[in-house]
Amino acid sequence: MTQAATDSAVQQVAPAATTAASDLRAPLYVAWQITNECNLACLHCIEESGPGKAFRDELSETEIFGVLAQLMDGEVPYLSFSGGEPMLHARFFEMVEYVCGRGGQLKIETNGHYLSAENCRRLAELGVKAVQVSLDGASRETFNRMRVRGDFDCTVAGIRALAQAGVPIEINYSPTRFNMHEIGAAVDLAHELGAYSFYTGRTMYTGNAVKTWRLLEPSEAQYTAYFSTLRAKSDEYRGRMRVYFHEMGLLEELRYRLVNPAALLIVLPNGLVKLLNALPFVCGDFRRESLADIWARFRRGWQDERVKHFVEDLATNPGKTSELHRWVTL
Amino acid sequence: MKLAKYTKFREEKFGGVLFETRSEKVYSLNPTAAAVVREITPGVDEQEVVERVKARYLDDGGAIEAEVRAYLAELRHKGLLED
Repeated sequence: MTQAATDSAVQQVAPAATTAASDLRAPLYVAWQITNECNLACLHCIEESGPGKAFRDELSETEIFGVLAQLMDGEVPYLSFSGGEPMLHARFFEMVEYVCGRGGQLKIETNGHYLSAENCRRLAELGVKAVQVSLDGASRETFNRMRVRGDFDCTVAGIRALAQAGVPIEINYSPTRFNMHEIGAAVDLAHELGAYSFYTGRTMYTGNAVKTWRLLEPSEAQYTAYFSTLRAKSDEYRGRMRVYFHEMGLLEELRYRLVNPAALLIVLPNGLVKLLNALPFVCGDFRRESLADIWARFRRGWQDERVKHFVEDLATNPGKTSELHRWVTL
Repeated sequence: MKLAKYTKFREEKFGGVLFETRSEKVYSLNPTAAAVVREITPGVDEQEVVERVKARYLDDGGAIEAEVRAYLAELRHKGLLED
């Protein structure tokens, strides 16, 4: 060891979502939408999930555990299960048990309607890293308007059950023109419920939001006030709860990602792998390819001219985000 | 001594990465830092980590021990290490 271990030994690079992928031997984070089935039909749902919306070709149990084995063998340190509603998946707890049992850090992203005391106890025992609950409002009126078929009281009760069981809690908030005014109260509520993190950003024009945009679209003035409140709340809760918010618009973020791809794979319920949720491009298929092959295709995919053109076209045609579900294989 | 509950280490060609999954921060490690972190395992104390790293490198004037101890202190300060 000729160089001092301390002079540059530990260097913070960036949050995981912005870590360059080019030098890594495997992804650092795999975000897996394990089913498209959902008990709710939210106005803004990017995945167009809902009752009866499971893909017809979702991965079988054998295929799922084959993929999980590859991810764990490949030392992918961090996974998330989302949906749809991941807790509706018939093998949900077995999948959680497998990942946690092999030392993976796992986050569950849920609408909170299946967080019974018993389920929370099981999640605590299995050792999930966190459960992220969508709470898009500080009142029953706004939450239930956004989360069609959803129930604010049920979600809040679920979050309290998580806290009671000792499961780390994250809250996610999607802004719309009719819930933005509650952001301050929602951050306060998240803290009162025991959350350690609160996430929000800008709602995307895609999925169900394409059909409901006239109800959802916030004005720039609303966003200005929204982020101003969040800055104040971030300061207010410093050291007690992290308040994360992404002011960057989609185009700016995608331009940044073109140069700095995240070490993140998005896995769809049928095993296809996307470059990014906000792009239509597919760079792999776990039914046919290994993790190593998909990782190589992922890294090449970010250099593909079609990806660059899609991003630049967004500058003049932001409505292109409505095409994200028309997958393009790279 | 062990890595903190939410910290994962993975070796890479360039050295390694530490991923603190609660804050979702990634720390890139050069080969020397990765060599230190590799020795951090449950039940091993700081002195043993120092000795193991010293055994692997030519200790020029005793600098390694100070460097490793400083580095471990930095990991603790960042919340990546627990005793």
